[in-house]
Amino acid sequence: MASLIFAFFFDSTIRQVQILYDDDMNMIGAAPFNPSLMFPMGTDALGYDTTMKVLQGAKFTLISVIAIGLLRVCTAFLFAIPLAMYTPDRLRKNLEQLLSSFYFVPLTIVAVFILTPVLWEQLRMPGWEEYFLYSYKARIGIEILVLTLLVVPLLGSLIANLIVSSLKEDFIEGAKVLGASKWRVFSKHIMPHVLPKLVIVFCQQCVQVLVIFIHLGYFKLFFGGTDVDYNPYEADPPLSTTNEWSGLIGDYYNLLHANPAIALGPIFMFGICIYAFQLMAEGFQHHLDTRNVMGMKRSKIKQDDFAERARINMKFEFLSKRGDYIDKNFY
Amino acid sequence: MKIAKKLLLQLLLTFLSIILISGLPELIMNKNASAYFEKVKAVFIEMLSLHEMTYLNQGIKRPFLEDIWEPYFYSLTILFGALFIAFCFAQVLTWGTLMLPNFLRKIIKNILTFLESLPDLLVFALVQMGIVLIYKKTGVLGSNVASLGAEDRIYIVPITCLMLLPFVYFYKMMILMTEEEMGKQYVETSLAKGMKRLYVLIFHVTRNTSEGIFHFSKSVLWFMISNLLLVEIIFNIHGITHYMYHDFRPEMLAACLIFLVIPFFLIFAFFEWTIIRYSKRSEAL
Repeated sequence: MASLIFAFFFDSTIRQVQILYDDDMNMIGAAPFNPSLMFPMGTDALGYDTTMKVLQGAKFTLISVIAIGLLRVCTAFLFAIPLAMYTPDRLRKNLEQLLSSFYFVPLTIVAVFILTPVLWEQLRMPGWEEYFLYSYKARIGIEILVLTLLVVPLLGSLIANLIVSSLKEDFIEGAKVLGASKWRVFSKHIMPHVLPKLVIVFCQQCVQVLVIFIHLGYFKLFFGGTDVDYNPYEADPPLSTTNEWSGLIGDYYNLLHANPAIALGPIFMFGICIYAFQLMAEGFQHHLDTRNVMGMKRSKIKQDDFAERARINMKFEFLSKRGDYIDKNFY
Repeated sequence: MKIAKKLLLQLLLTFLSIILISGLPELIMNKNASAYFEKVKAVFIEMLSLHEMTYLNQGIKRPFLEDIWEPYFYSLTILFGALFIAFCFAQVLTWGTLMLPNFLRKIIKNILTFLESLPDLLVFALVQMGIVLIYKKTGVLGSNVASLGAEDRIYIVPITCLMLLPFVYFYKMMILMTEEEMGKQYVETSLAKGMKRLYVLIFHVTRNTSEGIFHFSKSVLWFMISNLLLVEIIFNIHGITHYMYHDFRPEMLAACLIFLVIPFFLIFAFFEWTIIRYSKRSEAL
């Protein structure tokens, strides 16, 4: 259910972007959410329509978020397989201890630190030349790489734990007794159990990436590079080169007190996205919990409810006072 | 003893990873691996002689260790204050929530899912705007919205900002875990014995959920340290991340991160040690 909502939302976002390209202005029909939420975003200081910018940037942000999320999960999964399947228990526990040292390295600070030289436009002194250290594609590549690799250790040990916990189930033992090879156990028994959980992990990772994008945006490090104006007289504020959302946040956050609507618009969009991903994860979890007990679930819950109520409402009374009680000592 | 050795090793590895990470911009800037190793070596040597480290304050070189203590403890106050308040509120409210009927609990959980997805920057912005709005309407300034300089200290606003989201995370996690725990058999037994629901909740269930909450709190903290940086910059607070951000050298980053990591590490080590001892004792019994 929730994932349907998300799919609808996401799909329509793309459609809006296409409309934007046609220079066709009738977006009211395409927008699935409240128009009152879309239009008071107004225009920014330079007169651009913020709504347009948000729509134009959406594809960069969402696609890159999903790409990073996927990469994270895949890399971590590849990392987790040998950790879970081929490492002895003791060694794995020790390794886990080591990997958990990454818990103490805050991601935003490190990401800001590493990405600053990559994304910030530099100034070459002779000739006042503005330049980037890397080409556009390389910048995006490095950003994705950094945001992926920094979480692989933690995520890897998390997924390894998932695999190990399903390795410990009884049916694995059964399969081994019947002569299944390691590969067969993995592909036929582990995968069906772990794969759905990976989807949930993927949604959570997407949320995390979105949050990091917000932070990076606040530090004016935009996805794909920050266009800094080094004009010594009247410098324009740093501009996002692609109009993606974190860039919009960085551009507009300072306008918070002048006109809250402008500043909060992009952040609200982030909020909606995060909520969508979260609902997706929750809906999927719900689906997993109930898929095998269709129909039975509802009656079971009702029964539980009934038992609970009966226990609370019934007054305490001695069994000996009830007619059907037989006291053995009596005889 | 074995645990102590393990923890020490972990601490050293944390330091090592911080130092390795702090050299990375050099690698990216020069596209040259040997420069990276040079830098890592330099940072490492700098870390060993921390008392000689200097930084630039308004163009003047000043010793790092002399100046760092005050903002360091200020930051720690904000961080721990926020964590502590969030945790306590969440715990008390969880007890309250678990006494409510099922349908109300479901509503609360849905609201929490929504609150969970609020971006942190939005929360900060709303708090800031809310204070200004109250001031405009009533003339009552709840608290300063921004600190004016190194001497000026504000506590209420940054702590509120920092605690809101962790509070929501803790609250939701606690409700989920406690509900799962409530379905177990020992709870039914004790309820059947005639113990009060609240009593069972506080003295039996909470103790059993505490280990899970502890592990969860690690990732909350991870998230809070990142937020500390944002809060300190938004509210112009001169805490430790202020130094980190304004002097963005690898040495500075490594030193500040190590400083930030140490207290957390000690606290987690202490809790882990208690949990291990506690669970071992129960096994022996």
